[in-house]
This record gives sequence, C-alpha cells and structure tokens, in this order.
Amino acid sequence: MEEGGVNVIDLTQGDESFVKELEGLGADELRECIQCGKCGATCPMALAGLEFFIKRIVHAANLGLRDVLLEDSSVWGCQSCNRCVEICPMDIKPYEVIQALRRAAIKVESCPANTYEGLRNLYKFGHAVFPKGFEERRKKAGLPEKPPTALSYDELRKKYQEVLKQTILEEIAPFPLD
Amino acid sequence: MAKIGVYVCHCGENIAGAVKIEEVMKYAETLPDVAVVRNYLFMCSDPGQDIIKKDIKDGLVDRVVVAACTPRTHEPIFRDAVESAGLNRYFLEMANIRDQDSWAHWHDKTGATEKAKRLIRSAVAKVRLAEPLEDRYGDMEKSVMVIGGGVAGMFAAIDLANMGLKVYLVERQPSIGGQMIKLDKTFPTMDCSACILTPKMVEVAQHPNIELITYAEVDSVKGYVGNFDITVKKKARYIDWDKCTGCGVCTQICPSRVPNEYNFGMNQRRAAYIEFPQAVPKKAVIDRANCLYFKSMDKTGKPACQICEKGIPPKGIQGCPAGAIKFDDKDEYINLKVGAVIIATGYKVMEKTHFKEYSPHSPDVVTAMEFERILSATGPTEGELKRPSDGTKPKTIAFISCVGSRDERYHSYCSKVCCMYMLKHARILKEKYPDIKLYLFFIDVRTAGKDFEEFYVYTRELGVKVIRGGRVSAVDVKPNGKLRVRGFDVDLCSPVELEADMVVLATAIEPPAGTDELGRLFAATCGREGFLREVHTKLYPVETASKGVFLAGCVQGPKDIPESIAQARAASSAAAALVIPGKIKFEAIISEVDREKCSSCGVCVPLCPYGAIRLEEYKGKEKAYIEPALCAGCGVCASACPSRAITFHGFTTEQILAQIDALAEA
Repeated sequence: MEEGGVNVIDLTQGDESFVKELEGLGADELRECIQCGKCGATCPMALAGLEFFIKRIVHAANLGLRDVLLEDSSVWGCQSCNRCVEICPMDIKPYEVIQALRRAAIKVESCPANTYEGLRNLYKFGHAVFPKGFEERRKKAGLPEKPPTALSYDELRKKYQEVLKQTILEEIAPFPLD
Repeated sequence: MAKIGVYVCHCGENIAGAVKIEEVMKYAETLPDVAVVRNYLFMCSDPGQDIIKKDIKDGLVDRVVVAACTPRTHEPIFRDAVESAGLNRYFLEMANIRDQDSWAHWHDKTGATEKAKRLIRSAVAKVRLAEPLEDRYGDMEKSVMVIGGGVAGMFAAIDLANMGLKVYLVERQPSIGGQMIKLDKTFPTMDCSACILTPKMVEVAQHPNIELITYAEVDSVKGYVGNFDITVKKKARYIDWDKCTGCGVCTQICPSRVPNEYNFGMNQRRAAYIEFPQAVPKKAVIDRANCLYFKSMDKTGKPACQICEKGIPPKGIQGCPAGAIKFDDKDEYINLKVGAVIIATGYKVMEKTHFKEYSPHSPDVVTAMEFERILSATGPTEGELKRPSDGTKPKTIAFISCVGSRDERYHSYCSKVCCMYMLKHARILKEKYPDIKLYLFFIDVRTAGKDFEEFYVYTRELGVKVIRGGRVSAVDVKPNGKLRVRGFDVDLCSPVELEADMVVLATAIEPPAGTDELGRLFAATCGREGFLREVHTKLYPVETASKGVFLAGCVQGPKDIPESIAQARAASSAAAALVIPGKIKFEAIISEVDREKCSSCGVCVPLCPYGAIRLEEYKGKEKAYIEPALCAGCGVCASACPSRAITFHGFTTEQILAQIDALAEA
C-alpha cells in the first residue's frame, strides 16, 4: 500500500495458509522463532547488504506475507552456508525456511529468470553452473574435453533425469522435460 | 573524665587504600580524652569486635569511636559489642571514613587522610558528651488489620489467623475477591481464576480468627505501632445482612438499572445487587445513589418505589422473602484496636479514555481487563467471544501493549504483567478458535518468570503474530465499522497496518483511588507513581516508613498473583513477628519536650513527619508532647524549637555544637 511514498505493509494480507504451506515444505519450526536476530548477525548475505535478509524473511514468513516474500528476490541470494542453522538458539533452521520459500516460489513461477537457467542446466547437464567453451584449451593441456563429472556420463545423466521426472519438477518445470 | 577508645577500620582496601591509617592513628592519640587507638583490617568481624570488648573489659576505655563505614548498616553491630562488654550501648559513635571519605576522595590520599582526621576529631568531641540512654518497651495489641480483600489481603489474613492472631479484614466492596476474581484464567498455568480463588474466599469467611468487614472503609486512625485505634466505617447496605440469605430476589425485581462496575459497565445491574454470583459474603446491598426509593425521598419526601421490600402484589411478585430490606439503615462506625496493619488495597487498571489516538469511543476498543470479563463465563457475554458493537464474532483482534506504561506522559514504569496476560488472552482465544487472527503489538516482550518464556513460545506456536517494536500509533474506526491499526514492525523494518474487528489495550496498572489518603492515615508514604513505598527496596520490601504498617500486593507496585501472594505472606510474617511477642521496643534516640521550657508555639506539631507530636494540657497550658512510640528520631522538632525545649537524645544541642566546632577547627 502506497502512502506518502512509504511502503506500508498491510498485515491483513497475512495468510495463515501460507505459513502452513511453508511448514509443509520443511519449515516446520517456523512459528517458534522469537526474532532474536542471531541468524541475521552471522548471515553473509545480510552482511553483503541484502535488504530483506534472513531475520526479516523468517518474520515475514511467520506473518504469512506471501506477496512480500515472493516479490523479493532475497531468498534466491542465500548461499546455503548454513551458519544460521548452526547458531539458531530456537532451532528454527532458518535455511530450511529459505528452502521452503524457494519451493513455494517455484511452484508459482515466482523466481528470478536465471533460476530457470540453472534449473534447466541441472536437468540437462547435471550441473546448475558449469564451465563452458573450454574444450579446446582442455585438449591442449592434455585433458579430456569434458571434465569427469556428470557432463561425461550420458548414461547416468539419463537415469538422473528419469528420477527427476518422477518429482514435482514434472509439474512445474517451465521447460520441456525430454 | 572519659576514656575514649578510637578504632580505625581498614575495611580491607576500601579505607586503607585511600586513608593513611598510621597517620590517622597518630593524630587520634593527640585528641583530648583519647586513651587507646587501635586499627584492624575489618573492625566489624568477630576478632575486630573482640578488640573493642577487651579494652572495655580491661577498663582502658569507657567511650568508643569506630572510624569505619556507615552507621546505617554497622552501628547496631558495634552497639551490641559495646553493650556486651558492659557499657551503655549509646556510648558509641561512628566516624564514617569510608562512604564519606575514602570512597569519595579515592584519588586524593592526602586530602582523604586529613578528612579522616577531622571526622574522627568530630566523633570524639561528640562521644565525650554522650549520655547513657535506655531502650524502652511498650505493650502490643495481639491483633492485625488487613485492609483490602483481594488475593494479597486474603492470604495475609489467612496466614495471620492460622498463627492464632485476631485478624480484621476490611474490604471496600460488598464482596472480597479483588481484581483476581474478575480474571478468566491465570498465567502460566491457565488455572481458572475463580475456581482457585473461591475456596480461599470461603476459607477467609469461615475462619474463626478472621472478622470479615466488607463494604467498609478505614475512616480514621489514632495511636501507633502496637496500639492502633482504627475507626472503620461500615457503609449503609440498606439490607439487613443478618437476615439476607443471598437469594437474589431483590436483584431481580429492582426496576433501577445501572452500569455494572464488576463488568466495567459492559452490562447492567440493578440498584439492589449482589456483586457477582460467587460473592463472599453472598449478601445484597442497595446502591443509594441509584435506588428509586431514595431518589424520590430526596426529591419529594415520599417513597416512589419499595418493590424490593413489598414486591408487586397485583402481578403476584413477592418482595424480599427474608424481610431484610432496611431503608433506614445508617453508616456504622466501629472502633478496632490492633497491633499492626497490612495494607493490600491492590490496583486499578487505567481507563482507555486517556488514549485519544486509540479511538476510545469505539465499543470495539476495550481494555484488557474488560476483555478479561468478555472471556469470563460470569461476564457480560457469558464467556462467548462477541464484538461489543454488534455482537458478531471477531475474526481479527489486535492487542496493544504498554498503553500508559513505559510512557513518560502517564506512567514511566513497566506494568509487569501485561506481556504475559496478552499472551494468555491470545492462548485462550487460539485454543478455543484456531482460525482467529491475533496480532500482538509489543515494544518488546517481557516474560521474566518461571515458565513464562515457555508459555510465550508455546503461544507463538499456536500461530499468534507477534509484532515487536510496534507500539501502535493509531487506531481509527473505518466507515465499515472495522478498526484500522497502524504501527511499525521493527523486525520487518517497515510501517505496517491492519484491519481488526477488535482492539484490546493493555492499559497500565495504577494505584487505586484513595491510596494517597489511606497512606496518609497511617503515615505511610507514596512514591512518585502513587504506589505505597516500601522502606528499602531490597532489604525491607514489605515495611513502610510507619512502624507496624506493612504492604502486600499491587499497592506497593505492579506484580503478578504469585508475587502478590509471596509478598502477602512475607507481610503477614513480618506483622506476626512484631505482634506475637506482645512487646515492642521503642528507640532510645528520640526527642523529648521539657514542658517547663515549652512556649506552646506549636511549630513542632506540623513539622513532625511521623505525627508524633501533639499539644496537650499541662499546668493549664497547651504544651507539646512527643509520643515516644511514634518518634522516629529524625530530629526535625529539636532543630526547629525556638525555645530549645526539645532535647533530641543522642544528638543533644551540646553534642552537635561540639561536633561542629571540632569539624570547623583548623
């Protein structure tokens, strides 16, 4: 809601079913958060200046502020370092909240475009991110063209794709699963 | 000639670290009449005291100066030591070379040493003129009055009565029970408040040692510790309580309806009423101000209504079946003599009308105490959650904490129980109606108590939304009748707003009306916030400045039920310890009037903060008299007396002047 240029968050839009959804997606201890802020003090992304970072994300999730969270790309900035999980005194596992939010976001296709790129790569090549265009140089250095990772094992990758097809990805993937 | 012993204490490093002990001792030896000078690491320790005792027993010393810390804490110890060695206990003087010297002048060793010399010189000058004084004893009435029949007063009364003491329990309302009986449930155990308190109320009423005097107030107080003469005004009930059976007929047929105070005006009662269903004693009273009989009598001289008495015969409605209605009832004054008093008059919650920003005119904005009644089975909605404006069930409720507390415009203090009772309300609601949306706006959550934090986390798990740093700035009534709540959420770091069906204000806990006057009757003082003040926050938490007057419960400051009860039982123990021996020791350091010298000017009378001085007939003239039992030894009268007729024993004019001279000496 816009008011005098300041963004006022309308708590009435808070949706308890969103809280329950997140709990179902792995953030089971969400409601126990007492907002002590310890996670925020260790989070590298909060230190890096992401505005909506960990402590706020958990609180907004608790308030069921679906739109606020889905419209903000902060959850996708999490580096999965798990420092927050290690130090959380209430054992909320804040990283699990991030994961649950990502799961919820991807269901409604509310994620940054590069997320899909990564997802497609993961499906196709077994890596979300991997070095491309180094085949010639590798050959010159006497290495195999492809590194000995998923990239080199087409057989196994096919099996992996079969497994993925049986997951929720089947429903929500914004690209064809061939 | 006096033989003065000077004992210099090091107080570990506290004194010795700043004051050159050797130098001070050498100086003390040169003072007039000083026979012995010694020092020790801790004079207050047993070996330290033994040094003094030995010198007295050996006949070296007959006056003692201890140069050490504060007499506030240590004088009694040294007086006992002096007395046990055979000297009068008032042949002791302390020179405070710690608090007033070494601590204050820590970085100036030379200055501190010089000051120590001066202080000792002054103490020596005073103790040379010391007169032997004797402690006196008076008789003690073995009974206690407890004022206030809430949970604190009731527990104090029961404890005292169980010790075999006669207890008078005076309550302003028709029934005991206080504020606690109005609560629905109590945190953190979620006991039903009425269920756990009602048996206690019955116990109070039935205890053979407790005389329960309800619908009554303390009118005047005379006397002093051990012998209080208290006049209690029993308000006219207009119903003969000896006859009234509590059947409630009058409360059903009375035609005059007024807002019911017990439910904070959210429903109505009759002019003839029983305070609440489980009232103790269960007796009806007629509210004179609203009774049609009295209204018309005052106006026309003729009664217009006597329905409670006579019924409505044509309709077959019978009047009081016990014949208890007594329109000619009068206020009754009774005199009681007690040894000690416990004041436990509790608190009241602040009204919402002060807070214009929270739309107090809206019936859907209620105080937490009103909300408590809405939740209660004996409340105006019989425990059903209903919006006061239209009777619908609210879907969203916002709670606002610290309304009037932690607010310099109203009360600077924290009311202590609000965080917890807001969580309690949330929990009651969420357990009953899981779909209800609850938003709790706190400045910060204060749940310091046994099992309180666990209660908080559990309540959060129920899906209650906690907004911190969020004292709401405004509540507005929207055209659709809903309430818009505006606040700030520190955790989101964003302004927030909300549409609520109801708003509950956790208004501050205040001292009840008349606390100041009641305190004054007993010469007990109120603090800045209007609560009665304990003598010492840490060491004497239930004593007042007035001897024999004790405090229990919220009249001393906001507290929860367990704390109130703990304090009540502490107050009853303190009162019993005073009363049971049957004797009371009076201070020897008190003022006395030489009536031959007294010029009857009366200056001293209003100056005395303890009400100990009165003018009374002596040889045909009004002369001042100081009641030794009441005198607290402050000395105000002695310093003010223009005729020098008042001697302040232990601090005679000669002693004080000698002290000043010694201090002023170069």
